Amino acid sequence: MGKVLEKKRLKEFLSSVSKGAELIAPVKSDTLRFEIIKDFDDICLEGRPLFPVKKFFSPARHDIFKLNLADKNKAFEEVKNKIKPRVIFGGRLCDFNGLLRLDKLFLAKEFQDEYYKEAREKTLLIGINCVPAPSKYCFCESMNLDKYYDLFFHDLGDKYYIEAGSPKGESLILKLEDYDFSIPAIKCKKHLEKKDLSGFYDSPAWKDGSKKCLNCGKCTAHCTTCLCFDVIDEVDADLKKGKRFKEWDSCQFTNFTQVAGGFVFRKDYVAKFKHRIYHKLQYFRERFGMDMCTGCGRCIESCPRLIDFTETVNKLK
Amino acid sequence: MLSKSTPLKIVKKEKQADKTYLFRLEGSGKKKIKFDYKIGQFYQVSVPGIGEAPISVCSFSEDFLEFNIRGVGDVTDKLLELEVGDNIWIRGPYGTSYPLDKLKGNNIMIIGGGTGIAPLRGALKYLEMHRADFERVHIFFGCRSPEEVLFKKDMHHWDRIFDLNLTVDKAPANYKGKVGLVTKIVEESGLDNRNKVVLICGPPIMMKFVIKTLESMGFHYDQIFLSHERRMKCGVGMCGHCMISGIYVCKDGPVFRYDKILGMHE
Repeated sequence: MGKVLEKKRLKEFLSSVSKGAELIAPVKSDTLRFEIIKDFDDICLEGRPLFPVKKFFSPARHDIFKLNLADKNKAFEEVKNKIKPRVIFGGRLCDFNGLLRLDKLFLAKEFQDEYYKEAREKTLLIGINCVPAPSKYCFCESMNLDKYYDLFFHDLGDKYYIEAGSPKGESLILKLEDYDFSIPAIKCKKHLEKKDLSGFYDSPAWKDGSKKCLNCGKCTAHCTTCLCFDVIDEVDADLKKGKRFKEWDSCQFTNFTQVAGGFVFRKDYVAKFKHRIYHKLQYFRERFGMDMCTGCGRCIESCPRLIDFTETVNKLK
Repeated sequence: MLSKSTPLKIVKKEKQADKTYLFRLEGSGKKKIKFDYKIGQFYQVSVPGIGEAPISVCSFSEDFLEFNIRGVGDVTDKLLELEVGDNIWIRGPYGTSYPLDKLKGNNIMIIGGGTGIAPLRGALKYLEMHRADFERVHIFFGCRSPEEVLFKKDMHHWDRIFDLNLTVDKAPANYKGKVGLVTKIVEESGLDNRNKVVLICGPPIMMKFVIKTLESMGFHYDQIFLSHERRMKCGVGMCGHCMISGIYVCKDGPVFRYDKILGMHE
């Protein structure tokens, strides 16, 4: 049993749950993307944003150390995170399932990413159901996604049906009216066949599927779960101070596997394509028991050559 | 474990070859650091403003840490400019090690090429300190030329206490030592696989051919331990650079028993 909220009361509801926090939601500008909301009327729930929510947890670039090059003993000064509490509204199931996967690595037992950890703790996740499937490229129906959110909205025309997915979410809708409804599953046009990839490494389908690749890295930048990063030092013009920052990297770039002396371990585009897909559908599953793909289709939609790995995987026999 | 970059003081810097120096580091403050690294593990070594690079430990001691550094990139070139008294920033140790304490009672073969000899130097120190626990120790080292031979002082010592076989790829006509690839001296040794464990470190191409040679001599893959090199940024299995077939070389390696990584795809 969930709750119900009249659409005209949405603004009031969101203002109340995001009191003292940043409200983040999809905004239509050049494309649909998640942004910090300044004007409530900017929120656009039509379609699936092309960029996932991961940038609010692992930013494209953020400083980890200030460098004091003049001080021999205190060269590294940790940068304190300034993450405000926030509410993400309008995230899709694929987005939040992406976080569930990022948690496996960034919140691992042995080593945790401080920024990610704090961002996760300070963010409330309010999702919205995709009816109908918001993009011709998405295929989450094939990916067995979890009901992973604090609150989840389903559009009923003049009102939203709301379901809680955590005690915190539950506490926020206590005062709303009860409503009996069952959220329908998302129906997608595209489908990814589930198969064990281990026997297909030498299939010619990989070469066919990737021959148009430009190694631009857009697929990994738009991916809900791609988290590879580089660590880079930068020195200010006065040569006294600088910073060490983390920046997204991509396994599709040639220098991704380059070591000292210039040797590159994974050079050709087929091997790079295979590495990306095997990581998504096999390596991650072997380690964590779930696919590292949430079926959002962003890698296909963002690709300048519209390379569609689902077609390649479906072809493997 | 130094989980955050910590300054250590350079107490010794010794030239080994062209653009190659051995650095000995100790705690830079009044408090003495007790090191807890194992042989084959690595540290992330930083030069503020330049960057960080993974460097294997080349010593075996609680009191100090030694790195053999060859200038082959931005970080290592800058490291070579540092002198005794300067600080080097490190975090670690990370990764797996050559499991010497589990290999007692065996004959040990140590095969190294170029700077790959460095991590094995720690293994030899361990073997020397625990000499009675092991049978024979056979060393096979290959370097590019007589000038490129690392740890010349140690080589004399190892020659006395172990069976040392050293070769260089190329040498002037008057060179008295062996000339040829390391695979050649391994083959010439005529050793069989009985009661033996092999530790290898070197360039990928050298390790590939050494394994082929060992195979032809009757060795099994589970007798062979090797150390892999990959690009590493975090050292803790997050950043993704070092991943091969889902395995993080920084965390699941860099030392692997060869049969465990058979069939891995780059």
